[in-house]
Amino acid sequence: MGETNKIRVLIAKPGLDGHERGARVVAFGLRDAGFEVIYTGLRQTPDQIVNAAIQEDVNVVGLSILSGAHLSLTRKVMEGLRARNADDIMLIVGGIIPADDLPALREIGVSGVFTAGTAIPEIAEFIRRHIAGP
Amino acid sequence: MNDDRKRIEEARQVWEEKLLHPRVKRFRLSQSPTRFYTPLDRGEDRFLEKVGFPGWYPFTSGNNPFDFWRAYAADAAKLGFRPDWGGAGRVGKYGGFGTAADYRDYLLRMQSMGRKGGPNIAFDLVTQCGYDSDSPYAEGEVGRVGVAVDSFRDFQVIYEAYTGDLNIDRVPSNYTINAPAAVIIAMYAALAKKRGVPLEVLEGTPQNDILKEFIARGTYIFPPAPSMRLFRDICVFCTKYMPKLNICSIGGYHIREAGATRVQDLAFSMANGKAYIEAALEGGLAIDEFAPQMTFNAFGGSMEIYQEIALQRAARRMWARMLKERFGAENPRSMMIRQPITAHIGCSSTTLQRPLNNLARAVVGGMAAGMSGGIPGAYPPFDEPLGLGHSLEAVQLQIDATRIMIYEAKVADVADPWAGSYFMESLTDETETAALEEMEKIEDMGGAVEAVSYMAGAVARSAYERQKKIENQEEFVVGVNCFTGETEMEVTVNRMMEATYDPGLMRTAEERQKAALEQLKRERNDRAVSNSLKMLEKKAEDVGENVMPAVCECVENEATLQEICDVLRGVFGQAEPIKL
Repeated sequence: MGETNKIRVLIAKPGLDGHERGARVVAFGLRDAGFEVIYTGLRQTPDQIVNAAIQEDVNVVGLSILSGAHLSLTRKVMEGLRARNADDIMLIVGGIIPADDLPALREIGVSGVFTAGTAIPEIAEFIRRHIAGP
Repeated sequence: MNDDRKRIEEARQVWEEKLLHPRVKRFRLSQSPTRFYTPLDRGEDRFLEKVGFPGWYPFTSGNNPFDFWRAYAADAAKLGFRPDWGGAGRVGKYGGFGTAADYRDYLLRMQSMGRKGGPNIAFDLVTQCGYDSDSPYAEGEVGRVGVAVDSFRDFQVIYEAYTGDLNIDRVPSNYTINAPAAVIIAMYAALAKKRGVPLEVLEGTPQNDILKEFIARGTYIFPPAPSMRLFRDICVFCTKYMPKLNICSIGGYHIREAGATRVQDLAFSMANGKAYIEAALEGGLAIDEFAPQMTFNAFGGSMEIYQEIALQRAARRMWARMLKERFGAENPRSMMIRQPITAHIGCSSTTLQRPLNNLARAVVGGMAAGMSGGIPGAYPPFDEPLGLGHSLEAVQLQIDATRIMIYEAKVADVADPWAGSYFMESLTDETETAALEEMEKIEDMGGAVEAVSYMAGAVARSAYERQKKIENQEEFVVGVNCFTGETEMEVTVNRMMEATYDPGLMRTAEERQKAALEQLKRERNDRAVSNSLKMLEKKAEDVGENVMPAVCECVENEATLQEICDVLRGVFGQAEPIKL
C-alpha cells in the first residue's frame, strides 16, 4: 500500500457522553501510525456517523462509548451501515465495555473491542490485519 | 546566612565529587536517578509570605488550623460512625438514576439505613445537555448515568424524600450540572417558595463550571461567551437572593482526568476561576460579596505523591494571591480554595488489568490527600475500571483503608507536614511558577473564554503524550506495561450491595419518564408556558438583563428543561463540537 493509499478511519463519539480522552488519544495515535483519521467530535447520532463514514469513504469506524449505552448505539450504527450497503466498513468499539457484553457485540457484527489499557499499536495492527488495503 | 549558603554550596560540590559521581559511574548511569535537596534549593526563606500558619494568608498550609472532621474523629471511631468518602458532613452520597420517583425511593431506602445527608444529585446526560426525555437525542440515555429531570414536577418528586428534619432549610443540596445549571437553581428556588422556606437560608452547591465542560467534560450547550453571560446572571441572582448557596464548584480534577498535565490542571482551573470572577464583577458585584461563595471541586489525580502534595499547596497560594493582589479581596474567605476533597488519585489512574492493585493506588492517593490538608480518602474503590458499579468488598476496603490511614497511621495528625522541607518548598514554587506561566499564555489569548479551544486541544495532546510514554515504557504502570505475566489471577467480586440501582427500573425508566412528560404537557397551562418562554427570550436577547427571574417563572409554570434551553439556544446559538 502506497503513501497515498492510506487506510481511512473514522473515530466517532455517539450519544451524549462527553468523555473523549480515549477517542482523541486513539485518533492521534492512529494518525501517527500512518492512518488517515477523521474525528467527529462529540454527540453524534448513529445517522450522522453512518453519513460521515460513507461521505469520507472510510474503511473503519471506531466508536468510543463510556456511558453504558454501547449495545444499542453499536446496533444502530451497524443497521445504518447495512441499510446503506456499507457494511464492508469494519466496525470496532472502544471504551468501558463489560466482558459480559462481548458476545452480544460480536453478534451485532463488531470486529474488535478495545477497552481501557489497550496499546494503540495493538489497534493499528488489528486494523491492518483485517483490512487488505483499498 | 550567606556564609552558611556558601558553606553548603562548597560541601555539595565535595559530596558530588567524592560520593555521588563515583556511584553514578559505578552503576554506569549518565546521571543520578535521584535528587537531594538542600537549603540552596529552597531559595529565600520567607516563611510568613510563602507558607504561613494554617488558616492564615497565603493559606499554603491549609485553610484552617485543623479541619472540622478532625474535631470529632475520635468520637466517630467510638460510635462506629460511617462517613462516606468526601461526604463526612451533611452532604449525601453522590448518586441518581432512573426517573425522579425511582431516585426518590432509593433516597428513602438509604435514609432508612441511616444515610441522612442532603441530596447530592447526578443528572442523566440528557438533562445535562439540555434535552427532555422525549428528545431523539435522549434515546437509550434516560436515567442512565443520573436521574432524569424534565420539569419542576420531577424536581419536586425527588425532594419528597426531603421533608421534616431533612427539609431544605436543614440540609444542603449538591447538583452536578453545568450548562443548564440556571434551570436547576431556578427549580430549587421555586421549591423553596412552594414550601415557604426563605431563599436566604438555602445552602447548596451547583457545579456550574461551564468552562471545564469545553475543556474536558463535553456537556456544553451554548457557545462559551453566552455561557459566561449565564454564569454572570446566576452569580448576581444567587448573591442577591440565595447568599448561602455556593456559586460554582470549579473542577481541575475533570481537566486532569481528560488528560491534562499537573501544570495544565492547575493553570486552566485557575484561569477559569479568574474568568468567573471577571464575569461576576462585570455583573456589578463587589469581590467580597460573592468570592466567599465560590468553591472548588478538586485538583489533582495522579499517582505522583510528592508532586500532588506540592500542587495542593501551590493551588491554595495561587488562588489566595490572585484574589488579594489582583482583585483586591479583603475577606480571607474570598481567598481560600474551599473544596471538599483534597487530592486523591483519579479514576484514570486505576487499571483494568489486576484490579486489586487499584487499592494500593488509592492508598497512595489517600496519603497525598492526608499530607496536603484533606481527608486521607482512599478513592476510588478497586473495581472502578470494571465499569459495573462498586462491589461490597471494594467499598468496604476503600472505607477501611481511609480509616486505617486516619486512625492507625495517623496521617492527618500534623497540618502541612511538608512545610519547610527544602524539597517540598522548592517543588511548590516550581509548580506555581510553571502554572503562572501557562496562565499568562491564556491571558495573552484574551483569557479563558477565548482560550477554551486552545485548552481543550492542549489537554488532548497531553493525554496522547502520556499514552505514548506508557507505550514506550518511559513511564511505568504495573501490570500494564511492565511486570505483566502469562497467567493472571481471576478476580471475582461480590456485587450484592445495598447501593445497587435496580436494573429492572433502569430498563423501564425511559418509557415511564416519557409517559410522565406527556402527562405534564397535557395537564399544564400552555398559555402560561408560552408566555413565560417568550418573556425569557426577550430577556435573553438583551445582554444587560438578568435572565434568572424569567427562568424561575418558566420553571414555576412547568416549562420543561429543554423548552427553556431551546429558547436560549435560539438566542445564544449552540456550541460546535470541538474537533482535533
